[in-house]
Amino acid sequence: MSEQSLYEQLGGDPAVDAAVDIFYRKVLSDDEISHYFETTDMDAQRAKQKAFLTVAFGGPNRYSGKDMRAAHARLKLKESDFDRVMTHLGATLKELGVSDALIGKAASIAMSVKNDVLNR
Amino acid sequence: MTLINYAGGRFELLPDESVLECLERAGHRIPSFCRAGVCQSCVLRAQSGDVPAVAQRGLKESWKQRGLFLSCVCQPDTELHLTPAEVTAEFETRVVHVDRASENVLRVLLQRPEGLRFEAGQYLQLIRPADGLMRPYSIASLPEDSTIELHVALLAGGQMSQWLVGALGSAVRVVGPFGDCVYVAGEQERPLLLAGTGTGLAPLLGVLRAALRAGHRGAISLYHGAVNRAGLYCWNALTGLQRESSNLRLVGSVLREDGVGSVPPEHPSIIVRPLEELVLDAITTEQRLYLCGHPEFVQRLRKKVFLAGLPLSRIHADAFVAPAARPA
Repeated sequence: MSEQSLYEQLGGDPAVDAAVDIFYRKVLSDDEISHYFETTDMDAQRAKQKAFLTVAFGGPNRYSGKDMRAAHARLKLKESDFDRVMTHLGATLKELGVSDALIGKAASIAMSVKNDVLNR
Repeated sequence: MTLINYAGGRFELLPDESVLECLERAGHRIPSFCRAGVCQSCVLRAQSGDVPAVAQRGLKESWKQRGLFLSCVCQPDTELHLTPAEVTAEFETRVVHVDRASENVLRVLLQRPEGLRFEAGQYLQLIRPADGLMRPYSIASLPEDSTIELHVALLAGGQMSQWLVGALGSAVRVVGPFGDCVYVAGEQERPLLLAGTGTGLAPLLGVLRAALRAGHRGAISLYHGAVNRAGLYCWNALTGLQRESSNLRLVGSVLREDGVGSVPPEHPSIIVRPLEELVLDAITTEQRLYLCGHPEFVQRLRKKVFLAGLPLSRIHADAFVAPAARPA
């Protein structure tokens, strides 16, 4: 059995970089949630998407639950918004040929920050 | 022992310490957040020394070539001289030439101040000394030229533009450089698409000149959009460059077939069709794209080409936001 972390199994930083443009296109094309991602500074927005994907991939980060709350508080996100993002995350990984087992692991990491992101 | 130079101080990097941690230990406050090479809050700039590749992973090529890196994951083996990411300085200079590139555009040349380092296509803030009035203008000339070429849209009631009409010989100040609209070295075969409206031509001309000077071999297409022919300026300079470079294609986009400009009426490169449509037709996912000029044009088109598959790292956008529309 390999002792690799999920992040390593997914391919590390290059995999996150490959995923981030695909993921960003999906959320920006989703009329239900695209307004959260519309900005004049798309490079800065891309860095945020990359931070989120790094968390979901189990990669190196020091984000705390408090950070998550602070970053999302003013957005007043609904549960359905979070669910759509989860769908796009899964579809992104699928498109990159990631196995269902690993997609499940990434999804459960992302789910673990749900209460913080929704501020409840 | 590795040394880090920053803000006049010289600090010894401890084993396993990142540049960020070292500078913090020395009492400097550097913005940071994830501290894991992801969020890009802690970006610094290396003026000399070798930055490990891992500290530049995921950054745009144009950032890398300016020496930007992520200080939180940087553990160098050799001495580094560092500055904040955006190093700008203020310089005194003089207006040495003013002419009309078209009915509505002034071409203004400034004496290039000693010590001002920039890349063609970046922009400066021009300051009128009498009252401190400040406006941003992109640089159309090359860094080694003795003068700095700016294109100024003449606006009715425009405080800076109307003053510049008669400003020959006047002392001015400039602050800069700013912006990411620059030629990226090291990919000479890549096709380039440059598209701009109005004086958005200035940074494109800067990028174009830098590309040609670097001996760029890939196809270069420059699209300039205006309401009518009178708005297409600098056509002589552009066709001059085209005669010397077989890989350069010029297209003028006009909305209406009227007005008399510097472009000969029979010129085949002028198309009566909106610039946005021409760009969307011409774009391929292999290109590097530069978009400059009207903010709505730039921002709408950037989103469209990104959704169409161009990576964000290969889109350089410079939206010319007018003073009145600038958020408070």
